[in-house]
Amino acid sequence: MTSSDATSPDPAPPARSAKAEEYVFGALVAALGVFTLVDATTIATRGSMGTVGPRVFPYAVGALLVVTGVAAIVATARGRLGPAEDAEDVDTSVRTDWVTVAKLVAVLVAHLALIDVAGWPVAGAVLFFGAAWTLGAVWWKALVVAVVLALVVQVLFAAGLGLSLPAGVFEGVPLLDG
Amino acid sequence: MGSLTALLEGFATAAQPEYLLYALLGVTLGTAVGVLPGIGPAMTVALLLPLTYSLEPTAALIIFAGIYYGGMYGGSTTSILLNTPGESSSVVTALEGNRMARAGRGAAALATAAIGSFVAGTIATILLTALAPTIADLAVTLGPADYVALMVVAFTTVAALLGASPVRGLASLGLGLFIGLVGTDTLTGQQRFTLGVPTLSDGIDVVVVAVGVFAVGEALYVAARMRHGPVEVVPVGGKWMTGEFWRRSWKPWLRGTAIGFPIGTIPAGGADVSTFLSYAAEKKLAKRPEEFGKGAIEGVAGPEAANNAAAAGVLVPLLTLGLPTTATAAVIVAGFQSYGIQPGPLLFTNDSALVWALIASLYIGNVMLLVLNLPLVKIWVKVLQIPRPYLYAGILLFAALGTYAVNFVVDDLVVLLVIGVAGFFMRRHGYPVAPLVVGLILGPMAEEQVRRTLQISEGDPAALVASPFAAVAYAVLAAALVVTVVLRVRRRA
Repeated sequence: MTSSDATSPDPAPPARSAKAEEYVFGALVAALGVFTLVDATTIATRGSMGTVGPRVFPYAVGALLVVTGVAAIVATARGRLGPAEDAEDVDTSVRTDWVTVAKLVAVLVAHLALIDVAGWPVAGAVLFFGAAWTLGAVWWKALVVAVVLALVVQVLFAAGLGLSLPAGVFEGVPLLDG
Repeated sequence: MGSLTALLEGFATAAQPEYLLYALLGVTLGTAVGVLPGIGPAMTVALLLPLTYSLEPTAALIIFAGIYYGGMYGGSTTSILLNTPGESSSVVTALEGNRMARAGRGAAALATAAIGSFVAGTIATILLTALAPTIADLAVTLGPADYVALMVVAFTTVAALLGASPVRGLASLGLGLFIGLVGTDTLTGQQRFTLGVPTLSDGIDVVVVAVGVFAVGEALYVAARMRHGPVEVVPVGGKWMTGEFWRRSWKPWLRGTAIGFPIGTIPAGGADVSTFLSYAAEKKLAKRPEEFGKGAIEGVAGPEAANNAAAAGVLVPLLTLGLPTTATAAVIVAGFQSYGIQPGPLLFTNDSALVWALIASLYIGNVMLLVLNLPLVKIWVKVLQIPRPYLYAGILLFAALGTYAVNFVVDDLVVLLVIGVAGFFMRRHGYPVAPLVVGLILGPMAEEQVRRTLQISEGDPAALVASPFAAVAYAVLAAALVVTVVLRVRRRA
């Protein structure tokens, strides 16, 4: 979302880029609220006065988003930033690695683009391999695991659950095409 | 008493080999996701929702309940043995448990957590059994306005009273409410916020949202700042259970249960608060307060018991009122709804066999979990050591698979990605994700109740506060808000 600090190699003070990101996120929340309020006016209503139609709740939600979005911006301006969440595998002392995040998003996009073209086994293997490799796994190990995992899932779905994932390039292959 | 007979019948159902197997599957999965960083019970239940459509409701709900209870047990193993604890509800356990493990007393810490979880889980399930039917009987008399009041209380406490930043919690709630609006209005059949996209006219599936914020959001968040290198696990050392162990543990277990269960029952956000309160209580009551911060067993025993008792407490409003107060509970409500069952006061009359089999399976699951987490803890240590690139690649693969399996349309994966990226930025800036999920599930229910109330009153908004129950609920909420604001201002001053 904030592309400004995505590639900049100079170590900008973390507080400043975090602040910029917070402004953007707060603004997006408020913008979604404005959209909600505006779009709610186009919801068709029928029926008499006195009953509450399908617009009322959207108005309330839109107002809540606008107010909280603006309040988040104000809080940020006053220096009250939201603390980043804790997690076991997160090293809070290192700087954000935007390249890795972008690669993962690209891998997910490749996955959803490949499902209809090449079938789920290929798309699934690409997703697992791409993600594991991006995150630092040895490439050939990740590739072996990815192919095996994707084929096992495909067979389990086709044979076990009776839900058929698109076989794509494996169309007509026994076990893989449910 | 009728409910005792019903419970025994529930045991007869739940003890059938088939259901025992489902319970075992649930608690095993639950422990695994509790142990593994990056995935939690909410996301796991969400991922399993599409896969369980082929199961009958009792089997599916027994699995979900097992995952829910199991996650509470598994988390403690991670906080005690991993050098880098995280996850809020187990963070208190890490304070003392991790110190104990490093001091070579890991075995005792694991044992007091597992046995404490079992004791608390069992007592709390007994309390649930005793209270739930009575509360359900009372809840039958509640009208739509009363439900609106309860939901407003739940929204406010989950979003505003608990997090570090009420503004960000409310913003997260708003996002969830907005996602809940997308689709076709149930009362009038009008399209709302669908942007003319046909996939959106059925609304955005709960599975897609929950998996997006939890799995994709978390994976991206971890990837941005991943801790590289091998996973460091503290070796399990020392004696498991000694006389001193029992002497120092049993009172904190009971106190933790007494603190945890009521907190879980009221819409106050589930386990986290109860662990902090229990820890504070144990520290105050300790004979050797100087040990706290250096590995006091009471500081593990109390919060771990509180944590599990709160988990059972959360089931009281969930089953009797249909009111989820945590993200996992919200996803479980979605699970009920996928079978056309609405949790609430009528559940105990309409689906009595199902609900009692579910409650019976909680007792059974607790016993299974004690075995899984004490003698078999070595297996979970191995699970904990899965190399992180493979773990997060696997999370992403199953997130995408579970989402795709809902409708078998690629559009859902686009929505998943958008919500995942939003979840990533929410984590970076202190926007809690639980209010989003609770808002998503409760929002449509709240809207329906508000509109029903106003239909009955012919548009007079006073009807929303006219019933005594609703008035009391709003008054209590207002008082809680005032107290919180005063405490915050004082702390800052």
